[in-house]
Amino acid sequence: MGPEKKQKRNLADLIFKSVLWRSIFRTDIPTDKRGRMVTVLNNFFLHLHPVSIPRHAVKLKYTWLMGILATFLFFVLTITGILLMFYYRPTVQYAYNDVLDMAESTPLGVMREIHRWSAHLMVITVWLHMFRVFMTGSYKPPREFNWGVGVILLTLTMLLSFTGYLLPWDQLAIWAITVGSNMAAATPLVGREGPGSALLSIGDISLIGRTSDAKFMLLGDTRIAEGALLRFYVFHCVFFPFIIVMFMMVHFWRIRKDGGISGPA
Amino acid sequence: MRDDSKIKNETASTDSPTQGCGCGCKCGSRDGVTRLGFITCMVAGWATFTASVGGLGAMLLRFLAPNVDYEPSQSFSAGSPDDYTRGEVSTRWKDKYGVWIVRLEDRIVAVSTVCTHLGCTPNWLETEGKFKCPCHGSGFRKTGDNFEGPAPRPLERFKIWLNDEGGLEINKSIVFRGEKDEWSSPESYVSA
Amino acid sequence: METLKHLLNLLSDPRISFPILMILFFFIFPPTAWFEKWNKRLHFDRLWTPVGGLVMHGLMLVALVAATLDPNFRLIVTKPDNVPIVILIFGSVYFLWLSMRQARDNDQRLEAGEKPDEYCDPKRRDILVWPDVLYIELIAMILCMAFIIIWSLYLQAPLEQPANPALAPNPAKAPWYFLALQEMLVYFDPWLAGVVFPTLIIVGLIALPYLDSDRAGSGFYSFSRRKLFISLFCFGWLLLWVYLIIVGTFLRGPNWNFFGPFEVWDAHKVVPMNNVNLSELIWIKLLHRPLPNSILLREAVGILGLLGYLFVLPPLLEKSALKRFAGQMGRMRYGLFMFLSLMGLLLPIKMILRWTLSLKYLVSIPGWFNI
Repeated sequence: MGPEKKQKRNLADLIFKSVLWRSIFRTDIPTDKRGRMVTVLNNFFLHLHPVSIPRHAVKLKYTWLMGILATFLFFVLTITGILLMFYYRPTVQYAYNDVLDMAESTPLGVMREIHRWSAHLMVITVWLHMFRVFMTGSYKPPREFNWGVGVILLTLTMLLSFTGYLLPWDQLAIWAITVGSNMAAATPLVGREGPGSALLSIGDISLIGRTSDAKFMLLGDTRIAEGALLRFYVFHCVFFPFIIVMFMMVHFWRIRKDGGISGPA
Repeated sequence: MRDDSKIKNETASTDSPTQGCGCGCKCGSRDGVTRLGFITCMVAGWATFTASVGGLGAMLLRFLAPNVDYEPSQSFSAGSPDDYTRGEVSTRWKDKYGVWIVRLEDRIVAVSTVCTHLGCTPNWLETEGKFKCPCHGSGFRKTGDNFEGPAPRPLERFKIWLNDEGGLEINKSIVFRGEKDEWSSPESYVSA
Repeated sequence: METLKHLLNLLSDPRISFPILMILFFFIFPPTAWFEKWNKRLHFDRLWTPVGGLVMHGLMLVALVAATLDPNFRLIVTKPDNVPIVILIFGSVYFLWLSMRQARDNDQRLEAGEKPDEYCDPKRRDILVWPDVLYIELIAMILCMAFIIIWSLYLQAPLEQPANPALAPNPAKAPWYFLALQEMLVYFDPWLAGVVFPTLIIVGLIALPYLDSDRAGSGFYSFSRRKLFISLFCFGWLLLWVYLIIVGTFLRGPNWNFFGPFEVWDAHKVVPMNNVNLSELIWIKLLHRPLPNSILLREAVGILGLLGYLFVLPPLLEKSALKRFAGQMGRMRYGLFMFLSLMGLLLPIKMILRWTLSLKYLVSIPGWFNI
């Protein structure tokens, strides 16, 4: 019995005291207060949090957890989105059928559902997060800049959702984009239909025409066609995720720098 | 401090006076930095910076607008004028070319199927005698004049003419806008 | 039952429900002391008690279930894409109640000279993030994922017919989170509703902490400390955003006409929409004269009215009714605050003018500037 017991302990030691494990996790599994603090401090992901927070901030009725859920949903969307890209080709010829096939040709067939419903839920959680921050007055100095970053994140969330709306290339998609891109055409000065676009001209040659206004730059075409689908695909899968991650990093960093979670003075 | 400046002056004096920052101004000259030289350098520096950043930005923006637009042909033949009865709004070419052929009392016109509000395709409601847009409720009369809803101007008309055989020809790339009084142009209709 | 449905169809028409809600709103969320007096007198603050919350949510649930029994309403509400809107409606009301309840508690504490509920004694230990906070977050994420998976297994993501540029669906709706913007498009030209107003919403939100910069009300739920800003923000969020999304989803049918929740979506419903410009109202209807040829003269009333509304009204109020408020805010802040508020109020003003006078444009210079 004796040697067996010894071996058991050694197995745990073999893992947790091994060079490999110690190179990844610098701290032991925490058993005391110091250990708990050090664990948070030493972990790249956990150190988004401070080691301790005030009591009121743990109460669900104060924070509603909307910020963390929005972040979580963003990661769910990133992962499911990457998986969806394996089965989707952004061309007018293939897009609709690829989406149609997805339900049949992929195991379980709910990846698109998870992606779509998570996206809806993310919009709602971001709105409610903003509402909570407003109602607690948490945007007041010194957090006013981070509120601004949050507003940009909110806008980007809706833009991400909107660009994803086009990709199935169905009736819902094309008409939402028709309306959306014609708003670009109505932009003052740089849109063909917008006020003041006639001012931007050299002599008789108008600088803002069918093939040179904001709408044309957005769609890469005068119609909603191949160019628009590819552009919205790139916006949705690369450009906006890239931008939103940048702003998310600033947002989280500023929470810590602006004094952590808000609370009464 | 005094020693430092002395050394600086000495090193400066070993340079030939023409040597400077390369822009021909005198900021590195024997006299040290003059007020004029400093300002010139700043202006030149910032001008270069603005020009390069602005130029890069313009390049990036311009890159978004392709040079070639692969649009299908804008012209088509729409049959004989006799194919259309007086007072009729024909939806024959709506799906393929985005055009309604409307035969009014004394003329035939080619009306665009793009709503002037936000580009949806209105429906022709025969019983009510109007075009009605499903997106935001804009309504247009048979002539294309807007009379209800948010549309800011009438539906556009396209160039239409009779070819040598007496058939209707339509060119969508030439547009006549009612609010600019272009509908009186003889190219915008065929008398019939 | 049928009469009740007819009544609800009638009441839900935004031409009736919006003005009612707008007036009620300021008594429920009183921006000034005068409204607050009436708020207390009408006992609207009892909405934020547990009983009030229970009644509010109970009524909403009963209304939803009862409405779903109606075949016309069921057609709309069971669309997969409209599920998030039901979540949004219940979510926004629940969290509104949750925050206002805590605000009410805290206001009573503050009145009694106590600290707000969120206050913790610095002598008491803070809570360690490992493990307490991380557990909460982990559990929240797992529950959220479980919710999404169940939702995904139960409801298929919608996919309509393949794109057809020649055939616009009737009605053609934007994604639900943009329906408030689409609603604005009915009342304003695209460059205003689609470009200027969204930009102003974003700018206004970013400017908010710089306008409401008094640190006193920071970090806890409170209404009395921040009456004006909470009232205005909730007006925008609840009435001009969530309410318009609900209208866009449930009450906008074919040809973008209004339909009551229990009404059949008849594509041939005839709704007169012969809108006229302010210039026509004034010159033809009021003065019985033809429209003058000079555009400036024709649109003079609209232009002067608009300029006066945006640029003369704020300085006048600064000297009179809002003297104390303007003094507290400072010139710059007051100017920005007034500009953003007045621009925001343009929407309800235009909506009401459209419904009462069938007004199309206040100022109409075709090809240049329509508002």
